[in-house]
Amino acid sequence: MRRFLLFFGKRLIFVFPQLFGIMLVSFLLLQLIPGDPAVLMAGPFATPKVLETLRIDLGLDKSVAEQFLIYFKNVLRGDLGNSWQTTRPVTEDLLQRFPATLELIILSLTLALSIGVPLGRAGARLKTGFTRKVADYYGLFAGALPDFWLALVFIYIFYSVYSLVPAPLGRLDFMIIPPQIVTGSLLIDSILDLNFQAFKNSVGHLVLPVLTLGLINAGPILKMTQATMERMLEEDFSKYAELCGLPDKVIAKKAFRNSLPSVITIVSVLFGFLIGGAVLVEIVFSWGGAGQYAVNGVLNADFNPVLGFVLISALFSLVIYLIVDLLYFYIDPRTH
Amino acid sequence: MQEKMILSIDELSVLFPNDEMTSAIPVLNKASLNLKKGEIVALVGESGSGKTILSRAIMNLIPSPGYISDGKIIFNELNLLDLQREEMVKIRGRKISLIVSNPKGELDPLETVGQQICNVLIHHLDFSYSQAKKKAISLLRDVRIPDPESRFNAFPHELSGGMAQRVIIAIALACDPELIISDDATSGLDVTVQAQVLDLLDKLVREKGSSLIFITRDLGVAAHFADQIMVIYKGQIVEKNNVQDFFKDPKHPYSNLLLASFSNDPEIKKIWTQKLSLEPEDISIKKCVFCDRCIKAKPKCFHSEPEMITIEGDLQVRCFNPIERAL
Repeated sequence: MRRFLLFFGKRLIFVFPQLFGIMLVSFLLLQLIPGDPAVLMAGPFATPKVLETLRIDLGLDKSVAEQFLIYFKNVLRGDLGNSWQTTRPVTEDLLQRFPATLELIILSLTLALSIGVPLGRAGARLKTGFTRKVADYYGLFAGALPDFWLALVFIYIFYSVYSLVPAPLGRLDFMIIPPQIVTGSLLIDSILDLNFQAFKNSVGHLVLPVLTLGLINAGPILKMTQATMERMLEEDFSKYAELCGLPDKVIAKKAFRNSLPSVITIVSVLFGFLIGGAVLVEIVFSWGGAGQYAVNGVLNADFNPVLGFVLISALFSLVIYLIVDLLYFYIDPRTH
Repeated sequence: MQEKMILSIDELSVLFPNDEMTSAIPVLNKASLNLKKGEIVALVGESGSGKTILSRAIMNLIPSPGYISDGKIIFNELNLLDLQREEMVKIRGRKISLIVSNPKGELDPLETVGQQICNVLIHHLDFSYSQAKKKAISLLRDVRIPDPESRFNAFPHELSGGMAQRVIIAIALACDPELIISDDATSGLDVTVQAQVLDLLDKLVREKGSSLIFITRDLGVAAHFADQIMVIYKGQIVEKNNVQDFFKDPKHPYSNLLLASFSNDPEIKKIWTQKLSLEPEDISIKKCVFCDRCIKAKPKCFHSEPEMITIEGDLQVRCFNPIERAL
C-alpha cells in the first residue's frame, strides 16, 4: 500500500509543472495565429480609434510576457477570461461543454471496447474462419471511414428515411424540460431528477453520435487487441501452458491478461484524442461540445476559449495518464 | 520377469522444411528408444542433436514448420501420434510432464507461482481451488522452497532461478505423472543449486516410482544421476547402456569421442568442439549418421544404415563396428 501511495504521490507532483509548461506553450503558439482579435470583434467598419480602445481593453497592447503573466495569475484564480463570441466567461462555457463531450466519448469508447476487444481476441485465436475474416475486414474499414461521413449516413438512414431517432440538433429537444444539472451528464442527471422524459429524449439524441464514434474507434482497439494477443500466444509462457495440458480457454485468458496493458494504452490514447477529435461529429450533430467550442475560437481568433480548452483538455489527459499508470501498477506486479 | 515398458519410440522422424519447401532437415532421424517403468535414463548429446525436439515430439508439440514424418510413440500401449488433440491435452502435464529450462521465462509473469501450480491441479484432477491451494503448498514444501505459505503468493520475477526451477518441478510433479521429461533442467543454474535440484529430482522421482528421461549435455551429471544412459547424435539414438558399463566400455565411436573430450589430447578436443552443422540432407541416401566424423568408418558405413542391436543385457548399439575396448 505504501509503495502504491509513493508511486501515486510522485506522479501527482509532476502534474503541476506539466500543466504550467502546457499553458506556456499553447499561449505562445496562439500568438502565431494570424488575425487581429480586435478587428474581428469590432467588425470591418470600425474606426482605428475604436480598434485602439478595444486593443487596450483586451490587453493586446502589452508585451507577450506581460500578457502571459496576467493570464497565468487569472487562471490561478479560476478566471479563464471571457469569450467575445459567446460573451460569457470561458469557465462557464466549458462547464457546459466539457460534460457534453465527456458523456459522448465515454459512451462511445465503451461501445468501441465491447466490439473491438472480443473481435480482437477471437481474431487472435482463430487463424481461419468467418469470425477471423470479420475481424480482419472490420479493422480495415473502420480505419478508412471518415467519422463525419458515417454520421451523415446514419442521420440519413435513421432520421430522414426511417424517423427512428429525433432530429440531430443537440443533446435534447428544445421542448423537453432539462433535468437539474448535477454532473453535467444528461443521462445521470435525468435519472437523479427522476425526469424520465428527458432521459428517453437524451438517449435518442445520443444513439447516432455514439454509434458513429463507437463503431469507428472499435477499429484501432480491435487491431491492437488482436496484434498483442497474437504476440502473447507466441510467448514462452503460452507454449509452456500448452505443454502442461491446460485447456485453450485458460491459455487464451492468460494471453489476454498479458495483453491488457496494450489495450489500456490504446484506450487512453483514443480518449485523449477524442476530447478534441470528436469535433466533426459534434458539429454534424450540433452537440455543443468542447471541441466545437475550441475550433470556433480558433477560426475567429477568440483566444480565451482556445486557451481554456487546451488547458482543461491537457488536465484531462494528465488525469487519464495518471489513471492508466495506476492501472498498470495494479495489473503488472513487475512494476512494483 | 516381464518388465513393463512405459515408453517405446519406434523409428521416429521429424523434419523441418526450409522456407522454400524444397528440402528438409531431419532433426530426428529414425530415433528409437525403450524406457522401462521406474527407470531414470539420461539422454546425452551435443547441441543440435535433437534432444529437445525429441521431448517435444513425445508431447506432440513440435514447433512449426517442423512435423513428424514417420514413426510411432507408444506410451502404455497407446500410440500417442494417433490421438486426437483433446485426448493429448489430457495426457500433457498429467501422465507425461515436462520440466523446462529457463524457468522464469516460461512462467506467466502476471500469475502467482501458487496459482500456476493450482492450474494443473484444477484442470487435470478437478480439484477445487481450496483443495488445489493446500496441495500446491505441500508441493512447494516437497521441492524445498522455504516458507511455502507466503511463497505461494510470489510472482515469478520475485524468485531466483533456482527457486523458479523448483516451482517448475512442482508443477511437473503435481499430478503424479508416470513419465517425466527433464529438458536441460539445470542449465543456467549455479553449480551448487544444480546439485541441489538434481538431488531433489532424484529423490522425488524414486519415491513415486515415476520414469524420468533426463536430457542433458553434461556427461558428468548423467554419470552421477542416471541408471541408464542414451547417446543421441544427429537425430538418432546410437547407444544405450547402464551407466557403469557405459563409462567403463563405451561401444559406439561417438560415445568414445564424447568421453575423449575430457581427455588432455588437443587433437581429439579439436574434433569435439567442431559445431554440428545441420545441412539439409538427402535423407534417401542410406548411410550411418556418424560416418562423416567416424574414425572407425568402413566403406559399408557410407552405404547402409546400421540397425539398433541389443548386444547383451542393457547394451544396445547402432553401429557396424562397435569398439571392443575403450580408447
